Amino acid sequence: MKTERDPFIQKRQESGVEYMRAEGQEMPLVLRLQDVRKICKDWKTFSNDDPFMIVPHSEANVRSVRQYPIETDPPDHTDYRALVEPFFRRPNDANYQVSMQHLVDEVLAAAATPDCVDAVSDLALPLQSRSLARLLNVDDSEAKLWISWGTHVFKEGDGISKGAELSSYIREKFEAAEGSDADDFFSVLNRADFQSRKLTLEEKHGFANMAFAGGRDTLIHTISSIIAYFAAHSESLEFLREDHARIITATEEFVRYVSPLTAIVRTCPHGAKVLDAVIAPGGRVGLCWPSANRDETAFTQHDEVVLDRSLNPHVGFGFGIHRCLGAAQARLIIRSLLESLCNQIEAIKLIEAIPEVEQESSFERKVGYKRLLVSFIPRVPRALRPGLAA
Amino acid sequence: MARITYITPDGKQVVVEASGGSLMTAAVQNQVDGIEGECGGVCSCATCHVHVDAAWISRVGPAGDAEAAMLELEDGVNSASRLGCQVPIRPELDGLTVRVVGR
Ligand code: HEM
Ligand code: FES
Repeated sequence: MKTERDPFIQKRQESGVEYMRAEGQEMPLVLRLQDVRKICKDWKTFSNDDPFMIVPHSEANVRSVRQYPIETDPPDHTDYRALVEPFFRRPNDANYQVSMQHLVDEVLAAAATPDCVDAVSDLALPLQSRSLARLLNVDDSEAKLWISWGTHVFKEGDGISKGAELSSYIREKFEAAEGSDADDFFSVLNRADFQSRKLTLEEKHGFANMAFAGGRDTLIHTISSIIAYFAAHSESLEFLREDHARIITATEEFVRYVSPLTAIVRTCPHGAKVLDAVIAPGGRVGLCWPSANRDETAFTQHDEVVLDRSLNPHVGFGFGIHRCLGAAQARLIIRSLLESLCNQIEAIKLIEAIPEVEQESSFERKVGYKRLLVSFIPRVPRALRPGLAA
Repeated sequence: MARITYITPDGKQVVVEASGGSLMTAAVQNQVDGIEGECGGVCSCATCHVHVDAAWISRVGPAGDAEAAMLELEDGVNSASRLGCQVPIRPELDGLTVRVVGR
């Protein structure tokens, strides 16, 4: 049975490959877990060195620079990635974790009124943008502008490009940080040495572009889908409260189940063969994360949310050398959100859901929500509950 | 209670005492270099890869299917490889030595 989040089930079981129309080709999408992982490991055959083409439909019309480090191969990729890794490791720091929990508590408390709120624009978007300000070590006030850009920084829902605004913002930031000895993302990249030279403006722009775009709709769709899940399963918050370890397993399970990124693409300079799919030299192949994450040979109850799933070898954050640099940040945000929901919220009432659906030539797939109108019912402090002694 | 010795990628020995959790959680709690445990121990990130000392392999036991499928594609894998998060700490592992593979 096809479901709205897993349109790949039949092809995954039959052949392991689905085809979709992309850039004038019938591009194969690889659907099974171990096949996806094997491609991720073999970067010589399956290359990322193809600017604008990391997603199925070229981004050449919405951005002007190659994205770093994602659109590069080793050995350069190794050095590019190392330059920004210290920023992406900040979420492993205990003080950062405490400050993130405060931020999430604050954003949820502001959104969680009994009135109708949009979990996308009032919760997910401010959480994503304000936490990014912490990751990049810039002032919280910067996030106000980023929030105004909405869920997608490159395109409006109707496909109109708005990448130019992000581009000029990024360029201004690098210029303003010229000569600064501060520890924010822009100043640090201005000073960085790459293979015994300074980065070009194009390269710095490409790093910033990835930081702003990479974890944006992915995180926003994951957060809104989590809220929708709790609205539909009112008992689940109590289930999480019963055992704190479930915050961790539930985080991984939501990343697996939502898999907000449908496909990332590799280019095969010399051609390749994957199962029955033959890829011509210069042809492309897609890694289908949501399908790999529902591979029934690896996951029991593969299309259900199992909040205490303890063995969960998902590839929601990718695999191999390009595995998600933002994973520590994304995990921390989701864990903190679950923690805050458990502490602050008794139940969530769904008012209206407008899903975001991706339409391709051979499938359509729900990735998250455009709008998710809910009302939050606050948790009554234990001491105030009738029948319970303080 | 079990005493576990971790040999970090740069050759340092760290001895840790733990009475529960896994080889990953004990290492993370004691800031053993090279073990990050990013996924919290659900077998998704492989940031807890260790080589079990030869004398201990049979007592520690083999990797399960999901773990073996991850390890098959990891750098530095050999017949002594385990993901630390999939090895629960139990009293009979007292004295175990593992080498941290790291990235
Ligand atoms: C739930 C949220 C997220 C999901 C599902 C997700 C998913 C992914 C996936 C599947 C990849 C692998 C791409 C490949 O193999 O080529 C990736 C890479 C990457 N992600 Fe994320 N991501 C998320 C959040 C973030 C955040 C918050 C950031 C930054 C703030 C971020 C930044 C990156 C970067 C820079 C890479 C490229 C790493 C490289 O090429 O070495 N991601 N992400
Ligand atoms: S901690 Fe992630 S696989 Fe072991």
